[in-house]
Amino acid sequence: MGHNAAIFYIITLLVYGGVDALACLGLSIQFGVAGVTNFGFIIFQAAGAYAAGVLSMPGDSANGGFQSYIAGLDLPFPLPWIGAAVVGGLLALPFTLLVGKRLRGDFAAVGLLVAAVMANLLVTNYRPLFNGSAGLSLVPAPLQDSFDPQSTGYQWGYCGAVILLAALVYYLLHRLTESPYGRTLRAMRDNDVVADSLGKNVLSLRLSMLVLGGAIAGLSGGILVGFINLWAPSGWGYAETVVLFAAVIIGGAGNHKGAILGAILVPLGFLEASRFIPPFGSPGLIPALQWVAIGLLIIGFIWFRPQGILPEKRRVNIGFVLPGPQRPERLPGSSTKVATLCRRCRVPPGPQPRLRGPGVRCFASTRVSPRFHPNTGTAR
Amino acid sequence: MSLLLSSISFGLITAAVLSIAAVGFTLQFAVTDVLNLAFGAVMIVSAYVAYAINSLGVSVWVGVVAAAMTGAVVSLALNRGVYTPFKRRGISPIAMVIVALGMTLILEFGLQAIVGADSVSYRLNQGPNIGLGSFRFSLVQLVILSLALVIMTAVHALLRYSRLGKAMRATAANPSLARNSGIRTDQVVTVTWAISGALCGIAGSIFAIDAGSFGATSTDLFLVLILAAVFLGGPGQAYGAMLGAAIIGLSTEVGAAYITPAYKDVIAFVLLLGMLALRPTGLLGNRT
Repeated sequence: MGHNAAIFYIITLLVYGGVDALACLGLSIQFGVAGVTNFGFIIFQAAGAYAAGVLSMPGDSANGGFQSYIAGLDLPFPLPWIGAAVVGGLLALPFTLLVGKRLRGDFAAVGLLVAAVMANLLVTNYRPLFNGSAGLSLVPAPLQDSFDPQSTGYQWGYCGAVILLAALVYYLLHRLTESPYGRTLRAMRDNDVVADSLGKNVLSLRLSMLVLGGAIAGLSGGILVGFINLWAPSGWGYAETVVLFAAVIIGGAGNHKGAILGAILVPLGFLEASRFIPPFGSPGLIPALQWVAIGLLIIGFIWFRPQGILPEKRRVNIGFVLPGPQRPERLPGSSTKVATLCRRCRVPPGPQPRLRGPGVRCFASTRVSPRFHPNTGTAR
Repeated sequence: MSLLLSSISFGLITAAVLSIAAVGFTLQFAVTDVLNLAFGAVMIVSAYVAYAINSLGVSVWVGVVAAAMTGAVVSLALNRGVYTPFKRRGISPIAMVIVALGMTLILEFGLQAIVGADSVSYRLNQGPNIGLGSFRFSLVQLVILSLALVIMTAVHALLRYSRLGKAMRATAANPSLARNSGIRTDQVVTVTWAISGALCGIAGSIFAIDAGSFGATSTDLFLVLILAAVFLGGPGQAYGAMLGAAIIGLSTEVGAAYITPAYKDVIAFVLLLGMLALRPTGLLGNRT
């Protein structure tokens, strides 16, 4: 029994870690890469969890009708998870109003934060939607008709599926971030006015990121609710978003590996560390101190190491100025700086004799900074 | 009809508490460009200081004075110790909001670690009910209303007729121009944080009086109302915040009477989001 309990504990840790990693990846592409500060991130995860719940549960007259909720479609396995991602993505659409270029980024962030508080209030008070403050319980585990959800094999399978999905999402986001589209997103994050003036549709880019991050968050919620089988408003207060932000900032905003590291360190690490602290003080003391610690970590990291543990990759864009009448007399930056960059910057392999003769100058720019500072209009 | 009247009288009380808080919040934003989301946390810390004094057997109104001083001290420390150093590093407004959220967690849950998770109430006598025309207020409610009126008049006088108020308006409009014109903007910012912090402390303690019982996280939802009032009137606009507070206070309480109390804050939320989406500069702000 002790052995089984240990295995169950490890599986639970891995599933939670995978779910947190998914959520942090969604926030990493929104906040770290595109600079969309979604303080309402948790409502997307919650929406996914509720969607997966009511899609997989039977009608609300089941089990004596002690819960009331909408839908109750009793759909087979992959559909609730897909539905969770779709609902998470669609939920982003109303927030189009907040992410246009007219609204300051911090005002939009406050709007989203308030939306998160209000969504929680609504779901808590309006019982017919998702059973009010008691929340949904007895949410079926995926494929529970074919397998025994209590068996170790099933649980290892669940855990494997979560980690596989997290790895897949990581790979997709990595490809997206390295693509020209990712470069556009970073340009928008670093200076949205410049991106706008270069003809990039800032509203559409931000909305796409809200939808993509929302879908990932929704999926993470759907996976979580399939594992823990219940979901209630007390589990998704606005402060949970702050935990995810702490994870992304500590791991390294703009670096998806950092987001995963942050997910392991902050939500998972904190949850688990508190299990091993011998209980002291009044019952609520340790959770309260945990929140204080998260606040201190956020402020400490923004002050001492704003780039996080794993900083965003420094991106060097190399260009060449060929000799000729159109050659500028002075390159931006002092000549010594160009020289040092010239030694370090790597010219792509292959025969390029024309690019290495006298009169050819190589310049490199490290425009994209490791720190997050949209709206300042400067690169540091 | 009596339902309407009683809901309006509740709305007036909410608006009174809200106006003090919203003016404090908007003044901080005006002179430092910081959306101080830790405002609600400072409110509740001040309310607990008033509680500590009240539980010694001293009148709660002495506690309100102590809360005002606490709010001023904590706000000054917050600006000096956290926001100004971060500003000097040139961090973005977004990162500043994240820092403010971090401070909210530290203050609120630091307080909860000390006082525990149980709700507490002040010991005070509501006093006799007094009829004012068709309205009926308790004595305490009348004190809250008149306190708000006095404070709004004082803020108006400060901003309009004093050198300090002129310097504050100049600093809010253009800090570098104000500095070049010989205004000591650092001092103006410090004084503004002290004044707005005192307003925050007063708002916190009378919020606690009005709410009856309160805990360390009670102001989370009230912060939403403050934000709604501030954004409705236009961020940084003191008169806008007063107007916004009146609209939010009355509409939420009248709405509570006719719809259902559980959703009264949703009205504030809808007004806030609508304002952000349609006119981010607020009712009294300049069009940009």
